[in-house]
Amino acid sequence: MQSFSFAAGERKFFGICMIIGVISLIITYLTDDPLNSRFWSNILINASFFTGIAFITLFLYAAKILAYSGWHAQFKRIMESFYMFLGIGLIFMVVLGLGTVMGFHSLYEWNNEMLVSEDIIIQNKSAFLNPMWYMFATIVFGASWFFVARQLRALSLKEDKVGDIEFKVHKRMKVWAAIMLPLGGFTSAAAIWLWLMSLDAHWYSTLYGWYTGSSWLVASVAFLILTIIYLKERGYYPKVTDDHFHDLGKYLFAFSVFWAYLWFSQYMLIWYANIGEATVYYQTRLEYYPFIFYANVAINFILPFFVLLRNDTKRKKGTLIFVSIFVIIGHWLDKFLMVVPGVDYTTKKILSATNPEAAAEFSRLIMPGFLEFGVFIGFIGLFGYFVFTSLSKAPLVASKDPYLEESLHHHVV
Amino acid sequence: MGSIISPIREPLVTGNKTYNQITEDICAPTERAPSISWVIAFSVANVLAAVFLFTSAWTIWQGVGTWDLNRTIGWGWDITNFVWWIGIGHAGTLISAILLLFRQKWRTGVNRAAEAMTIFAVAVAGQFPLIHMGRAWFAFFVFPYPNTRGPLWVNFNSPLLWDVFAISTYATVSVLFWYVGLIPDLATVRDRARGFRKKIYGIFSFGWTGSAKHWQRWESLSLILAGLATPLVLSVHTIVSFDFATSVIPGWHTTIFPPYFVAGAIFSGFAMVQTLMIITRYVLKLQDYITIAHIESMNKVILLTGTMVGVAYLTEVFVAWYSGYIYEQFAFYNRAFGPYWFAYFAMMTCNLVSPQIFWFKKMRRNLYVTFIMSIFVNIGMWYERFVIIATTLARDYLPSSWSLYSPTWVEIGIFIGSIGVFFTLFLIFVRVAPVVAIAEIKHILKSSGDQYLEKQKEYVQKQQFSEKN
Repeated sequence: MQSFSFAAGERKFFGICMIIGVISLIITYLTDDPLNSRFWSNILINASFFTGIAFITLFLYAAKILAYSGWHAQFKRIMESFYMFLGIGLIFMVVLGLGTVMGFHSLYEWNNEMLVSEDIIIQNKSAFLNPMWYMFATIVFGASWFFVARQLRALSLKEDKVGDIEFKVHKRMKVWAAIMLPLGGFTSAAAIWLWLMSLDAHWYSTLYGWYTGSSWLVASVAFLILTIIYLKERGYYPKVTDDHFHDLGKYLFAFSVFWAYLWFSQYMLIWYANIGEATVYYQTRLEYYPFIFYANVAINFILPFFVLLRNDTKRKKGTLIFVSIFVIIGHWLDKFLMVVPGVDYTTKKILSATNPEAAAEFSRLIMPGFLEFGVFIGFIGLFGYFVFTSLSKAPLVASKDPYLEESLHHHVV
Repeated sequence: MGSIISPIREPLVTGNKTYNQITEDICAPTERAPSISWVIAFSVANVLAAVFLFTSAWTIWQGVGTWDLNRTIGWGWDITNFVWWIGIGHAGTLISAILLLFRQKWRTGVNRAAEAMTIFAVAVAGQFPLIHMGRAWFAFFVFPYPNTRGPLWVNFNSPLLWDVFAISTYATVSVLFWYVGLIPDLATVRDRARGFRKKIYGIFSFGWTGSAKHWQRWESLSLILAGLATPLVLSVHTIVSFDFATSVIPGWHTTIFPPYFVAGAIFSGFAMVQTLMIITRYVLKLQDYITIAHIESMNKVILLTGTMVGVAYLTEVFVAWYSGYIYEQFAFYNRAFGPYWFAYFAMMTCNLVSPQIFWFKKMRRNLYVTFIMSIFVNIGMWYERFVIIATTLARDYLPSSWSLYSPTWVEIGIFIGSIGVFFTLFLIFVRVAPVVAIAEIKHILKSSGDQYLEKQKEYVQKQQFSEKN
């Protein structure tokens, strides 16, 4: 079977992306406020986004194994490369965790002794909102996901060598997949609360975890579509047809609608009940970030809904590329909107107490600037470099997958 | 659909069936005199349905005061039953619509009966808000239209009104879906019948001839209806959850309610499908069409949705603590340790703990275990609604208005009776229409019939695992 060669041009491209990212980070650091809030929030936005994409790809991969899903068998190696990125993404999250322990960033209000000492609500939450839990969730939960990811990847590669018609290896993969679903389902919620929801330390929403997961899921499918189209353009995957793209397009469409459903459920219920403690979250975002707030819905729901509703747009590479790029940016903006308002609020509060001069100078970051996009491009470079490297290390097609023949003869309609 | 099937898949039609045998096997129950077990079951169901009629009539005649509702507990068993039945009515459309879009072939064995079950469950569910109105003859007031009652309009801001729209839309699309699916099969029955029977089935099969054009239109209509029904599966229970979640009652106002209610609905719907299918396949001798593989697939859905509901339960409890909001914290403390602790306990054991038995393949494939589990889940999901409704309302913000609620004989009668109505309808259905979709089973025979899967295995062996690889 074909194996992928990571071309020099591609290395260069991803390398340049990464350099752009590093330069953007350096500039951010140098021009930042005394707490370096912009620098650290940029890392958090991207690290959680790409770790999340890797995690949800693993979750989807496990779900597909258990659901007897066959049509994706040809390109499952790409999904494997995505979820192996957990190893890199989690390093960033651990660094952020170390930051909460050692105090080299102040992203989280609950991690600032001065603010907590005068805030009874956060004190009540301190059994959960503390650096130890942050580290525990990031390291133990993260490591457990990465462990399962490695097992599944190793078995998948092993199947290439020893697979037979009894599908023994695949049956062992099923065991790990079955472990992954409840493991990921329960632990991801805690990780999401700590990483993201706790930025707005007072605020809470039970739906937040599933909402964030669905956002990652859309981004994951969009990256998958872009990667397959690119590899196909390079001459790989000759047997991936319009029918496969049709199904991938359906995923992109359906998960976008699902994301919108969760977005609406959360927003509508909070708006309707009109309880100050809950509405403050949206109040801040609507007041200071109206553009991103509406762009989020427009890009992530209205655009994919109307473009992909038709049959043929799901089968054309042009429209798929168009929608995929937009929703990746859209869901990244969604993460920006989740992270930045809380961080700005905390930063301003700390600065006004400790450094009034800097507080007077401090201004809200209401739109992602060049530096934000620069860091985002850097992370795309890192992710792409990693994915292509791991693709080049194994055959592109899992030749002994039980569903391979189904996937090679896949027909929709 | 791909014509190549992985040998890792189990056959979905067993017993080396031919097309003719499929027609014979599935049409037979509608063509012979009812068996004695059917007659007994039908009589019992009828008696219970009579109980329903009597207790509902009693309620309407005497007033809702015959129930134990009081100043704080405005909703009791009636709305519990309503949500329970609506939830049960979710599996049918999920199986027929979402699984059709996902090209899940195992749906063909159970979709027809599940859709029928959906319609009957929704019909039964619809009775409860009607009875609860007290003056049921004014039920048409819920529809918004320019009227002579002064400038009196329905409250468009109320989720209860959204419910009216959501449920009636859902019922309409479900009926259409079910009936459109039935047409080719009714025509099959018609072609085998004689005399008056032929006339009746002729009318109901809309002159179906089985021409290529008919099939083509039938296929595209099914797909369009599936596309329409899919958001409806989510919307109906989402809006039912809004009935609670839009209010500022601790324990009700929580954002996870919409997806969690949908997961719970699918959970309970599949449990009811299991209850019905295990009996039906045995009584009508349909074991070759509703195989253990079908049962196992449904048990997996039950395990998945049960665990999702479990994640939601634990999320709610955690966030109640995390919120630091004492009323929310009390609401959950009260659920677990208050006067209705047994309901909370039943809900947790039946919905979260007991389905975990389905991690074991042996259990998933055991009919007795499955049957008992399906009853457990039905009980658990009823208690879930009871926990949400009654325990919350019984412990209001104001301790001075705290009270307790226990159902009167009228309320119990309505609930037990509603089960009778449901079974009466279902038992009539199994007599008059093919319980398994004949046309759709024939459609998958060449790809999922046991005799054909053997050939598939040879092909895959040759293509993928021969020496040349």
